[in-house]
Parts: sequence; structure tokens; C-alpha cells
Amino acid sequence: MSSEILNVKNLTVDFGGVRAVNNVSIQLEPGEFVGLIGPNGAGKTTIFNLITNAIKPTAGEINFKGKNILGKSPDRICQLGISRTFQNIRLFPQMTAYENVELGFHSAPQYSLAEAFIRTPRARRIEVDTRKKAMELLEMVNLKEHSHARASSLPYGLQRRLEMARAMATNPELLLLDEPAAGMNDDECNDLIKLIREIHTTMHYTMIMIEHHMNVVMDLCRDSRIYVLNLGSMLAVGTPTEIQSNPDVIRAYLGEPKND
Amino acid sequence: MGYINTIIILGGINIIAALGVAILTGYTGLFTIGHAGFMALGGYMSAIFVKELGVPFPIALLLGGTFAGLCSFIIGYPAFRSELRGDYFAVATLGFSEATRLLLNNTRSMGESINTAESGIAMLFKPIGPLLVKLGGVFGYMSLPSPTNVFVVVVAVILALFFAHMFVTSQYGKNCIAISQDEVAAQMMGVNLLKTKMIALFVSAFYAGVAGGLMAFYFAYLTPSFFTITKSSDLLAAVVFGGIQSLIGPVITGFILVVFPELLRSFAEWRLIIYGFLFVIVMIFRPQGLLGYVEMNFYFVRIWWNKIFRRGQTSQEG
Repeated sequence: MSSEILNVKNLTVDFGGVRAVNNVSIQLEPGEFVGLIGPNGAGKTTIFNLITNAIKPTAGEINFKGKNILGKSPDRICQLGISRTFQNIRLFPQMTAYENVELGFHSAPQYSLAEAFIRTPRARRIEVDTRKKAMELLEMVNLKEHSHARASSLPYGLQRRLEMARAMATNPELLLLDEPAAGMNDDECNDLIKLIREIHTTMHYTMIMIEHHMNVVMDLCRDSRIYVLNLGSMLAVGTPTEIQSNPDVIRAYLGEPKND
Repeated sequence: MGYINTIIILGGINIIAALGVAILTGYTGLFTIGHAGFMALGGYMSAIFVKELGVPFPIALLLGGTFAGLCSFIIGYPAFRSELRGDYFAVATLGFSEATRLLLNNTRSMGESINTAESGIAMLFKPIGPLLVKLGGVFGYMSLPSPTNVFVVVVAVILALFFAHMFVTSQYGKNCIAISQDEVAAQMMGVNLLKTKMIALFVSAFYAGVAGGLMAFYFAYLTPSFFTITKSSDLLAAVVFGGIQSLIGPVITGFILVVFPELLRSFAEWRLIIYGFLFVIVMIFRPQGLLGYVEMNFYFVRIWWNKIFRRGQTSQEG
């Protein structure tokens, strides 16, 4: 009997003739925070898409909390407790920041259709309750004063944080962050590190983060481990210091040293 | 008075059907050019309930709407399962409504051949043979009662608007909006696309069905030629002009699009050309529609009131 929350076994996916992900295995204990890095095109986002079943794998197994989730629809997987953010932000552009977060709470409506039409006291109570919880999440990511701004009108960095809040609203156990620090400068990265650490410690999520900013990954995963992907295959697994001194990883990122 | 009554009644009926299209096209982002089909189904069904079964008129309207809603699953389930969207879904709805209309065109001959059939699969339909003859095919379903009047229509419009508002501001409605804005993100955040779209289509077809019923009981007869693609495109035009994610927009344009052809009767046949032209203009200059994203609320009344009130104050001071 294993205690893993997520167990990805020998995952493989082919896009036509290209093997985008090759025999990748990942095991996660509840509450862990791991990093997933690799050069462009290594298949990192593809792994997230496979876990949330946006793409169907060619072979392999994905078990979440001991149950096989392969072939379940993305919305079902979300309801089971896996939520994610996107590399290219996918907020609902014309909805306000508050409405974006709120959606995460009621994507599976909490009252019946008949109650929706006559808005019974119970339905109203649920809505007030949801509103409170959504505002709490917005406060956590420091977006409370922007709660009524349209998502598309927010600056880029705030959109990333809003996406995180929306993902948290679905009440996940496993949170997949796809390049949360993309396009941020050093100051913003430091704020983000603080925020992600706060989320991880207060909400007790298990988290996987894809990131290119090495200082962000090395800082956040310092007590944990980092998976390195290259060309679809798992190149190395280890603590940040192990990864930094791993010759295979250095070769994947910087290329072969010239010997002549 | 009679003429104005007619305009109010026809406008009100159009508003109810346009609200249905607004829920599906404006809020869920699914284009439909087949709502005339749902109007036909609801209209004929509620007429049958009243005339053949003696069901009271308001209940028959609701039953007709429900019937149209259930029929919408015939097209909705396969279309949403196979993830038809955009133009492809619109074409599917068009096909459904044209098929409905053609079936209704032929009810009389179908009924007659069932009545005279001696054997075969037609025997299964023997009990509904006489009913099909009564529906009359292209000749129309005649001499219905006509309880629809201005009062009934105004009450129906107010109720329709109220319940549409309740729906789109509920958790179901907000999920619909999320789908219209980013389907992939909505699904990843846990929205069940199939279920949510089916609910939106059901509610939408229900509205169209009720509108069809009101129409049947206003004209006191029904013919399939009421429910051509022209009717469907009128309804879509109301929503596109009126604005997406708005209820008040389609209500206003839904009414105007009935009143206008009435006022310009000599141009009535030209209206499709004029619509086409207006469509292009609206798409270029205001792709979200005239009142797109304008929520139905009465703040603007308060703002006007304040303006007038304040102006009054300043003039007193000055």
C-alpha cells in the first residue's frame, strides 16, 4: 500500500511520429512541492496536459489518490482535486477578477436548476458563502482591491496571480503551476516566491511547478526535489544542489563542451 | 387600438423567443439559426394540449415549452458530444429546424397514409393517425382557441425576463458565461461542458416553445410557414444587434425588429437585405452588439434621477 497522492507510471505520448513524452514516471507524497524543469520543448506542459487529460496518452498510467484517472474528462479530474494554471494565461477575459475566482467554487453548481430559477434562501446562502470564500482567496493573492476589474484589464503579473487564485478556488489537493514566473523581473519573482510558499504552507496542497527562472525553482524546491526533462525523457531527479552539479543536466541546457 | 395591440403582442412574443436565443447565443456562445424549429414544436404541442386534451391554456404553454426543451436534446446531445461549436453547431440547429418544418408540412399526408394502412410499420402509428390529419400539413392546424391578448403577453414577457435574469445570474448561468469566454479553461476549472450546454439549450428551447405557443393562441391557427429560417434569423439578429451577455439588449431589439417591418410595411421584403447590411455594420463597429456586456440593472435610472435632481438643486442654488 503506497501513500502517494500522484503516481505517474511510464507515461508516453506520441504526436504523429514525434515522441513528446517518453516513459516518464513521477511519484508525489501528499504535501510535497516539486519542480519540473527542462529546456524548451522538453515536454513539461505536455505532462500537465496529460495529467489533466487535455491530451490522451499513448501508454502509461496515472493514479491520483490510488485511483486510476486515465480517460476521465478534464472537468471530472478537476472535481477529483487536480487544478492547474496555464503557461499562456487563460482567464475569462470579460469577467471580473472576483467572478473568475468565484467560478472555481461553483463550476459544479451547488444548488439545483429549480433553485436557480427561484433563488431559494438556501441558494442565496450558498452564494453569500461563496462570495466570502472568493474574497478571502483574492485577499490571499493581494488582489482584493482589483476584485471588480475586468480580468483582461489587469497587468500581466496580477493575471498570473488571479489564475492561481482561480485554481485554488476549485479546492484542489494537487495544484499544477505552469510557469507562474514567466515574464517577471527579479523583484516580482521574489514576491511570487513568497506568495507560493505561503500558499503551500497554509493550504497544504501538493504542488508541481514548471519554471524557467532557476532562482525561483531552486529557492522553492530547496527542501524537496526537482525533475529534469529533456526531449521527452526524464533526465535527472534530485535536490537543487544535485541538479546544479549534474553533468547531464548541464549538457542538456548548455550543449556538449567542444573538445579539440 | 387593435393595430397597436397586434404590434405589442407580436413584439412580446418575439421578445420571449429572443430571450431564449440570448441565453444560448449571448450567454453560452452557441450560435443558433434554428430556434424557429423549437417555436414550432412548442406551438404545435401546446395547441394539441389545449384543443385535443382540454388542458388549461397557461399549463399547455408550459408543457409545450417543456416539450420543445426535451426535443432540443435530440440535436443537443449528439452535437455537444461530438463537440460541434461555432458555425458547425449553427448549421446543425438549422438542419434540425428545417427537418421539423418539413415534417410538419407533411403531417396531413402522413396521417392519411397511416389511416389507410393495413399492415407494416405504419400500424404502430395508427393511434396518432387522425391527430396528424388534424395538424393539417401545409394547410395549417385550424380553429384553435385564441386566449392570447395584450395582458397575457405582457405578463409572460415580465415573467420570462425575470426568470432569464435569475438563470443568467445563477451559478448555472455563470458557468455558461465561462464557457462562452474560454471553453478549455472552463472545462479545466471543472465545468461539465456537456451538461452545462444542454441546460442552456433546454432553457433556450423552452423559451422558444412558449413563444410558439403564445403565437398559436394569438393567430388561432398554425402553419409550418410561420417557422421558416427567416424567423430564426430574425431571432439571431435580435441577439446580435442587441448585444451578447445582455438581456435588455435583445429585449429592445427583439421588439424593434417586429415594429420596424410593421411600420415600413412596403419594405418588409427588403428587411433581410437591410439586416444583412446592418449585421456587417454592427460586426465592424460594435462586435459585442449595441448593449453587449451591459447587465440588466436599473442603475441608469438612478443616475438619470440623480442628474435631474442635482441639476434641480444647483439651479435652485444659482
